[in-house]
Amino acid sequence: MLCDDLEVSRAEEGVRLERPACPRASRLFAVPDQGQALIAGLPVSLDEACRSAAILLSGARRPLIGGLGCDVTGHRAALLLAEKLGGVVDHMHGAAQFRNWQAFQNGGWMTTTLSEVRNRADLIVLAGTDASRYPRFFERCIAPASQFGELTRKIVVLGGPAASIPVMDGVSVSSLAVDADRLGELFAVMRARLAGTSTDVAADVAGVPAAQVEALLADMRAARYGVLVWNAAELDFPHADLTIESAVNLVKALNQATRWSGLPLGGNDGDTSAAQTCTWQTGYPLRTAYEIAGPRYEPLLFGTDRLLKTGEVDALLWISAFDPDRTPPAADCPSVVLGRADMRFARAPDVFIPVAVPGVQHAGFLHRMDAVVALPLTAPAPSSLPGVAQVLAIIQGEVNHAAA
Amino acid sequence: MLRLKNGRIYDPANGIDGEVRDLYVEGGRIVATPGPDARIDREIDLAGRVVMGGAIDLHTHIGGGKMNIARALLPEDHRADPVPAMGGMHAGCGHAAPSTWTTGYRYAEMGYTACFEPAMQPINARHTHLEMGDIPMVDKGAYAMLGSDDFFLRMLASGADQRLINDYVGWTLDASQAMAIKVVNPGGISAFKFNTRSLDIDEAHPHYRVTPRQVVQALARAVHDLGVAHPLHVHASNLGVPGNADTTLATMAAAEGLPIHLTHIQFHSYGTEGERKFSSEAERIADALNRMTNVSSDVGQVLFGQTVTVSGDSMKQYGNHRHASPDKWVVMDIECDSGCGVVPFKYRDKNFVNALQWAIGLELFLRVRDPWRIFLTTDHPNGAPFTSYPHLIRLLMDKRFRNSKLDEINAEAAAHSQLRSLDREYTLYEIAIMSRAAPARSLGLTDRGHLGAGAAADIVVYRDDADREAMFAKPEYVFKDGQLIVRDGKVVNVVNGALHAVKPEYDKGIEKPLKEYFDRYMTVRMENVRLSDDEICTCGASKLIPHTCKGRKA
Repeated sequence: MLCDDLEVSRAEEGVRLERPACPRASRLFAVPDQGQALIAGLPVSLDEACRSAAILLSGARRPLIGGLGCDVTGHRAALLLAEKLGGVVDHMHGAAQFRNWQAFQNGGWMTTTLSEVRNRADLIVLAGTDASRYPRFFERCIAPASQFGELTRKIVVLGGPAASIPVMDGVSVSSLAVDADRLGELFAVMRARLAGTSTDVAADVAGVPAAQVEALLADMRAARYGVLVWNAAELDFPHADLTIESAVNLVKALNQATRWSGLPLGGNDGDTSAAQTCTWQTGYPLRTAYEIAGPRYEPLLFGTDRLLKTGEVDALLWISAFDPDRTPPAADCPSVVLGRADMRFARAPDVFIPVAVPGVQHAGFLHRMDAVVALPLTAPAPSSLPGVAQVLAIIQGEVNHAAA
Repeated sequence: MLRLKNGRIYDPANGIDGEVRDLYVEGGRIVATPGPDARIDREIDLAGRVVMGGAIDLHTHIGGGKMNIARALLPEDHRADPVPAMGGMHAGCGHAAPSTWTTGYRYAEMGYTACFEPAMQPINARHTHLEMGDIPMVDKGAYAMLGSDDFFLRMLASGADQRLINDYVGWTLDASQAMAIKVVNPGGISAFKFNTRSLDIDEAHPHYRVTPRQVVQALARAVHDLGVAHPLHVHASNLGVPGNADTTLATMAAAEGLPIHLTHIQFHSYGTEGERKFSSEAERIADALNRMTNVSSDVGQVLFGQTVTVSGDSMKQYGNHRHASPDKWVVMDIECDSGCGVVPFKYRDKNFVNALQWAIGLELFLRVRDPWRIFLTTDHPNGAPFTSYPHLIRLLMDKRFRNSKLDEINAEAAAHSQLRSLDREYTLYEIAIMSRAAPARSLGLTDRGHLGAGAAADIVVYRDDADREAMFAKPEYVFKDGQLIVRDGKVVNVVNGALHAVKPEYDKGIEKPLKEYFDRYMTVRMENVRLSDDEICTCGASKLIPHTCKGRKA
């Protein structure tokens, strides 16, 4: 959510989050200010590590530049290097991102942004998520007062129980039990009902009693500004893109009479920035290979897991500057990792280069989940560690040198 | 020192119409004819060549959130025009929604040296500058969109003093590093969020009860008072709606004599005559433009083929979605600031409406007499991709060619249009006005768009080809700030461009209520919406070119 209201204080080692309480932000700020470059687990200098990385990567026919957990300055450098190497790019959350992109590229959608939700939303339907992966979503987008006068808000959770949703003044919460992989069916029937099709024949829809479906639909039609929220990462089943398509089609249909928007939750480990930067530079939102004739986009073929499993890539450059737990997936090919200094491996990569954390240890730019707001990142705890962009520039220099 | 000798110079800002002269370039600038002792390091003989300043596109959607939505939406369009990495140029894609790199290369290859993104949402400003930072070759600038943002509408509805509005407009220009102010469907983008589907110029906004006319007036006044060179840039109400010519004329009148620029006026020149209730009002609109010297305009010419329409006008783009081709579209409500709509479109020459749109645009070009007040645009990519400019120039300069195209379009539309009766053919001098001198003057770029001593050495050299399309598609030489960047229509030297932004004076006291507003209602802090001057270069521009404004007393 890229909260920009955090207060940090300088601690003995780096900085500490003072307020508000957010487990995700606390982890981000608890970062060591020193690290050690490693080749096969043995300490080396930064320059040695970069040289070794350059040799390893330029020897590959098609390297995967993956992870991409960094900010725009890092993404720009990663795309430059991928272009130079003839590599392919994908983000560590590519599987979730492409559930959205596939739906988007098939039919488009109608969406909204966080401040619109905060000020306008009177009915929020959470589809297959309770938003608990975004600890401050309710505090920042649902609980506060609207600038358009009194709003009586309703939240409906489609999925599990709504127990995790905080109690908020003026906000009523209810839930309907639906399996996530049957949400698409539910939305399709609701859209059919909006179009005037009778569903009298069925006693229930996707396991929800027909009367409850009708009641929900009536509420949704009565909303002044409804928001349908989903989190592609939580829709983790085959063909979930079709569920998202069904959701956005329902949103479109509701707009014939009232206002509705979708809100796809996301924005983790720089995934929004990675997709945005790749889109403006190549035309495609990642899963793109730099080939002789130009960028080639294969959303179904160029996923990290598949590329590593099939051996279609023969080297991996993994970037994860925010989260030390986001280690690279198991790979049979040689690997270079640019990670947080406190990253620990089950199996040491060929080259490990510790990097500064964007927004903590180096400045830059990062997009929020809605891609509209890009914030400037500052460096409240500058460290001697290089940023991703700096390391990639050194590697690129070595690659150019080797090619000359 | 570089001498460009014997070229035929078209430099309307200095009144030079096809005279053979020498140009001298030193330190990136055009310099006066030096004495006999001057050291000429390089000389190019341009005998028989046409020489103009670098072209300036003052309305082209080159970057920003909605262009990125368009790019992401259309992989099938990119696939037909892949661009490999080559000779220091980056890989990317071309055509309707080109990648940033390709946008810069292809503009330069047509002789353009500056491009202005006309619809930057202040809340999206940093993203827009990041995108524009990756557009090489040309200088850039952006217009900040206001008029449907809630802070402004609250002020207007509460009867705030014009001076406060001026301060807010000044703050917005400053904070978003913008060159001008644009209003899109005044108040209408906000009204759509309240489920209003159309808002004519004197209709009250459903929540704020203010009218688009009031929005236009307050903003036109603010831009004028702040001393911003470019007048309020207006995308009027009712875009694309048959019969909207009345609204367009009312919008011109709403300025009450203050300078105003009506953009992509082709999309706002429609009547309701005929069996299909869709007709040309180009004559009436052109007459008004000819009469009202406070009004300037760009055309937003439609040319046939696949493209994608991108607009801040979420209300009208939602209404247009049923025409989407391919059938997919995006509409977004944005951050109590604005909105956007992206609808792919295929203009077909055999389609009555599309053919008439084409004819209406050309009629406007030909009927508006003063080329200083009508600019060459396709509203890229909304009417057509910018790469079709050479074709458009030929349509304007070559009546026989134009009429041959008129023979190919939907016959009923051709019969409805008076285009065939218009004999005007643009001259090279007029083309130089509408694509160079006039946009530079309108934007207040005193050292661009002309070839006088002291001007930046943005110079384009064309072979004088009777086929004006071929001529304007491939300049023989393009110089940017004195450096040769294009030879025979191909980039030979990759350079980075600067960012133009105005720096008006305003009372920073406006930050107090604005900060309170942000803290209370928004999900981002006011301080983080603002872009510092330093960020312009970290976003990617070579430098910031600030333009001071001579404010007028409110």
